[in-house]
Amino acid sequence: MPKLTPSQTVGPFFARELIWPDGGTVLFPGHGERITLTGRVFDGTGAPIFDALFETWQADAAGKVSSGGEGARPYGYGRVSTNTEGAYAIETVMPGAFTGPGGETYAPQISVSIFARGLLKALQTRVFLAPLDEIKGDPLARAIGDPARLRTLIATRDPGNPRVYRWDVRLRGAGEAVFIEF
Amino acid sequence: MADTSAVDVHPPYLYPDYKSTRLRAPAQPLVRVAPSPLEAAGPAFPKHFVKNSEADLTTWGKSAPLGEKMVLVGRVLDEGGRPVRRSLVEVWQANASGKYPHPVDDHEAPLDPNFLGKGQLLTDDEGRYRVVTVKPGAYPWQNHAFGWRPAHIHFSLFGNAYAQRLITQMFFPGDPLLAIDPIFNSVPEAGRKLLIADLDLEHGVEGVALGYRFDMVLRGARATPMGV
Repeated sequence: MPKLTPSQTVGPFFARELIWPDGGTVLFPGHGERITLTGRVFDGTGAPIFDALFETWQADAAGKVSSGGEGARPYGYGRVSTNTEGAYAIETVMPGAFTGPGGETYAPQISVSIFARGLLKALQTRVFLAPLDEIKGDPLARAIGDPARLRTLIATRDPGNPRVYRWDVRLRGAGEAVFIEF
Repeated sequence: MADTSAVDVHPPYLYPDYKSTRLRAPAQPLVRVAPSPLEAAGPAFPKHFVKNSEADLTTWGKSAPLGEKMVLVGRVLDEGGRPVRRSLVEVWQANASGKYPHPVDDHEAPLDPNFLGKGQLLTDDEGRYRVVTVKPGAYPWQNHAFGWRPAHIHFSLFGNAYAQRLITQMFFPGDPLLAIDPIFNSVPEAGRKLLIADLDLEHGVEGVALGYRFDMVLRGARATPMGV
């Protein structure tokens, strides 16, 4: 069996190579409720991370995985860089819930990968677009258990604009987000 | 079994000799979960997403870039040895002087007007890829006194499933800077040689370009904690 290729950091110099001008607008073959997922990424001292590559992958509004790509780019996939304030924004549609092979229900969620200088491996997680009491049966929510930790993965609706979901990510220390491995 | 091999080859998040890890590595253990049906699938890049010319980094400018021209070939496989087909591979690198065309790169080295250092391609039905470029230069960095990064080419791989996503760096055989590079040495010793290309002259171009080979292996798409 061949050995896995080890991971290495994306480094500080990737913006010209990996960032697409419209990479923050996620494409789908159909329609759905347009939403924006936005927030900031912080390090262990609370300083914004201004050089992170932030990638998202999600189901469509019906909870289906649109793995095709007849458009300019693959459906369901978003990719941006954080800015000097550590902020990112993904314009997308509200993903539907979906079902796993054992019949388990996955709450509306977006899979996220964060790459950056100082990250020797990607940080992967899932952000939930539903409140705590609606995600309790989700496989990851059940694996985490502790509501305080689970809250680090819940995006909150902006009271002034219900189409905007806010999710800040702390990589280390107080309020550290839950990250996953497969 | 997939778990064991992953632990063996990947670097830790916290590797204090690489200073940027100290503030960015998570302190809490990761939560292990099976890939969701979403993560067992992945973004599919349409064929027209890449142009054939994008695998040749030496034809971007009006004339040839400076540096040692090279052809890099290899295969992308999964850990079962199966080819990863029609999958996006992105490469990027410094120019032959060790300079990136980025505003934040403060290395006092010249830009090359004929070299952007960016390429992409889709693997073929055997998982093969071929990139034409110039050998990147080493460059200094601020991590430690007299620190220099060894010459390297960055790779971004998508595999055929989101759970296979990998970003890594390829290094060159015999580079004395490897011994003092904390990023390279963050990889457990047994895994380091997997990041070094092999000289493969026959895949070069006689009298024109050196050949190198670098194969990459991604985890399986559907492996779970139970090994199902």
